[in-house]
Amino acid sequence: MNWFSLLFGSEGWGSLLLEGAVVTILLAVTTVPFGFGAGLALAVLKLSPSRVVRGLCEAFTTFFRGTPDLLSLFIVYYGLQALIDRVSKLIGLSSPIELNAFVAGVIALSVVAAAYSSEVWVSALKAVPKGQHEAAHSLGLDAKRTFLFILMPQLVRIALPGLGNIWMVLLKDTSLISTLAVIDLLRAASEASKNTTRPILFYSAAAAIYLVFSILSGVLQSRLERRANRGFA
Amino acid sequence: MKKVKLLALLGLASCLMASAAIAKEWKTIRVGMDASYAPFESVDPSGKIVGFEVDYANALCERMKLTCTFQNQDWDGIIPALLAGKFDVIVSSMNITDERKKKVMFSDMYYATPIVFAGQAANKSDDVSPAALKGKTIGTQSSTIHANFLEAFYKDSNIKLYPTQDEPNLDLASGRIDYVVGDGLVEQDFFDKKGNGCCRVISEIKRVPGIHGPGVGVAMRPEDTDLRDMINKAIGEVDADGTYKKIEAKYFKQDIRGKQLTN
Amino acid sequence: MLDTLHDSAAALLNFEMMSRYGWRLVDGIWITTQVVTLSVTLGFLIAFLVCRARMSRNRMLSGAAISYITFFRGTPLLCQLYLVYYGAGEIRPLLTNLGVWWLFREAFVCCVFAFSLNTAAYQAEIMRGALSSVPKGQVEAAAALGLSQFRISRHVIWPQAFIVALRPFGNELIAMIKSSALAAIVTLLDLMGETRFIFARTFDFLIYVYAAIIYLVIVEIIRRVWGLIERSCSRHLIVATGETQSRGQDEGRICRAGRHGLSHGGAPQGQRA
Repeated sequence: MNWFSLLFGSEGWGSLLLEGAVVTILLAVTTVPFGFGAGLALAVLKLSPSRVVRGLCEAFTTFFRGTPDLLSLFIVYYGLQALIDRVSKLIGLSSPIELNAFVAGVIALSVVAAAYSSEVWVSALKAVPKGQHEAAHSLGLDAKRTFLFILMPQLVRIALPGLGNIWMVLLKDTSLISTLAVIDLLRAASEASKNTTRPILFYSAAAAIYLVFSILSGVLQSRLERRANRGFA
Repeated sequence: MKKVKLLALLGLASCLMASAAIAKEWKTIRVGMDASYAPFESVDPSGKIVGFEVDYANALCERMKLTCTFQNQDWDGIIPALLAGKFDVIVSSMNITDERKKKVMFSDMYYATPIVFAGQAANKSDDVSPAALKGKTIGTQSSTIHANFLEAFYKDSNIKLYPTQDEPNLDLASGRIDYVVGDGLVEQDFFDKKGNGCCRVISEIKRVPGIHGPGVGVAMRPEDTDLRDMINKAIGEVDADGTYKKIEAKYFKQDIRGKQLTN
Repeated sequence: MLDTLHDSAAALLNFEMMSRYGWRLVDGIWITTQVVTLSVTLGFLIAFLVCRARMSRNRMLSGAAISYITFFRGTPLLCQLYLVYYGAGEIRPLLTNLGVWWLFREAFVCCVFAFSLNTAAYQAEIMRGALSSVPKGQVEAAAALGLSQFRISRHVIWPQAFIVALRPFGNELIAMIKSSALAAIVTLLDLMGETRFIFARTFDFLIYVYAAIIYLVIVEIIRRVWGLIERSCSRHLIVATGETQSRGQDEGRICRAGRHGLSHGGAPQGQRA
C-alpha cells in the first residue's frame, strides 16, 4: 500500500490518527480549567500569611517543577490508582471506583499545569497595584466581588503571556500520555507505524498535526493578548 | 468526645467487616490486555482490540454468562493496574511463573507456545548458545519471562528491553539489534506480515521450569477465588465442546493448547 | 488502617529494594549526565548557526531558520525522538550508504541527536532575544568610534547579551535535564530508564518518587549554581540599579523564547514535552 492509501484509505490509519488528534485536544482543553484554576488557588495560598500553608504550596510547586513531566505523570497516574484502591478498601466499597485512563491523564496533567501556572499567577497577583484592593474596599465591595470584577480582568491580562506558554507546553505534554495507553495522537501514530512498519510516514503526519495545533494556538494567543491589552500603551 | 470517637471507630470497623463478608456479584468482567501482541491481541485501524485472546475471553465469558469488556494497558503496568482495580482479569499471554504468583493468582493454563530466538535472514548461523552470542545485542519486551531468561543465561550479551514486543521486532528488521527472543507464533506472525524477508526464526528455546513456567494463564487478584473457580470451569467447558479448536483454527495452523510441563 | 500505616512505613524505608537495585540508579544518573551535557553543548553550537541565519538579511536563510525553529518548538520532543529513532531504522540502507548507520544504531546517539536539534531551536531564540536586547545606540556609538564589526560583536554586543541570556539559558539547561527522561522510552537506560526497570521488577511505585527526588536535587543544585553565576556576572548591574532583575521588558521577551514566559521574578523552570 502506498503512503496515500495508508493514510487516507478506508483500510488506512488516517481515521485513528484523527481520533487521536481529537483526544489530544480534548485532553489539553479539559486540563485548562482544572490546571489553571488549581494554579490560581495555589497562588492565592502562596500569598497567605500562614507559613505552613506557604511552605506546603512551595514544596508542591518545587516538586512538580523540578521533576520531569513524564515522571510526574507516572507518579500521579500510578499513585492515584493505589490511593483510590486503598481508600475504597478502607471505606468498604465492594466495587472500586474506576478511573479511566483519560481522566487519570487529565488529573496528572492538571497537577503539573497547576504547579507551573501557580508561579505565573503569583507574579500576576503581585503585579496588581495595592491601590486597587484599597479602592475596592473603600467602595464597599466584598472579597468575592473584588476578586471577580476587579482582580480577575487585570490578572488575566498580565498572566496571559505566561499562561499561553504553559498551554503550549501542555499541548505537547499530552504526548507523554501516549506512554500510558491512552490513544492520543502520538499513540495512534505509534500503533499505525508498528502495524505498517512505516514510522517516518506516521510520525511526520503526527508532527504536522501538532504543528498545526501550535501555530493556531500562537495565533489565538496573540489575538487574545491584543484584545486584553486594548487601551493599554 | 471519647464516645464519639468510639462510635466512629466501631462504624469503620463494621464497614470493613461488612465488605469482607459480602461476596462479589459478578456481572461484567473487565479484561486488561496489552494490545500490541498480534495475533493474540492487537489494535486494528479502527482502534478496536482484536485477536485470539479477545475471541477466547469472549468465549469464556459466554460460558460464565457474563459480559466481557476490554481495556488496553501497557505491559509494564499491567499487574499494578490489576491490583489497583482498573480491571478484573488479565488475559494477555501472561505466563504463569512463581515470581508472578507472589502477586497475582492464576487460572489453569490455556495455551503454551514455543519460545524462540529470532535473527536476521542474512545471519545463517543457527548457534544461539550464550558463548556464540557474546557481545551481540538481543532485544525483547521488558517484564517478561524472555527478559528474565536472557538476564539469567546471556549475561555477556547486550540485552535491550522494550515496552512492547513490536519494538524489538522493528529494530531487528531495521538491523539495529542482532537477535530477538519471543513467542514463536508472535515472531512468525510479525515476519510474515511485516518482515519483508528481513528476519527468520532460528530455533526454539526449551522452557526452563523456574523461569518460563508451564504456559499462559488468566491472572486475577489473589482474593477473587470465586472468579478463578468460575474461569477454570469455563476453560474446561470451552475445551470440551470444541470452541477452543474453532478459535484456534481461525488464527493458527498449529495446536497451541499445550500440556502442563511434567518435570 | 493500621495495616496501611505499617505498609507505608515499611515501603518508605525500602532498604531491601534500594540495596538490590540502588547501584542501577547511579548508573542511570551517569548516563543522564552524559546525554544532557552532550545535547546542550551540541545544541549551543547549532543554535549559534541557526541564530545567525535567523538574524541575517538573506530571506532564504532566515526563512529556513524560522521553519527550523517553528518545527522543533511546535512539536513534542517525544514525537521528534520517535521520528529520529524509528525513522533511522526505516532509512537504514540510506544511512549505511552514507556510512553513519553504526552511529544511528545506538539509542544513545539517536537521543543526543534529537535532543540537540530540539534544544538548539530554543537556544537560538534565547540568543536572538538577548542580542536584540542590546540597544542599537551602543552599536552605532561603537561604529562611530571606528571599531570593526568583529570587535563590536565581541566587546560590545556579546558581553551585554550574555548577561541577559544567562537566566533563560539556565532554564533551558534545567528543561533539558527534565526532558532527558524521555530517552527511557527508546530503551536508553538513563535515570528514568533504570527507574522503570526497577519498577518492572518490584512493582513498588515508590521508586518513581525516589527518582523524582533525585531529579529534584539535581535541578536544585543547578538552579543554585546558576544563581551564583548570574550574581557574579551582573555584579556591576546590581550596584548600578540596586536590583537583581534585568530590564523587565527584555527579559519578558527573552523568557518568552524559553519554555515558560515569566515576566517577573520567580525561578522560571521550563519543561519541554
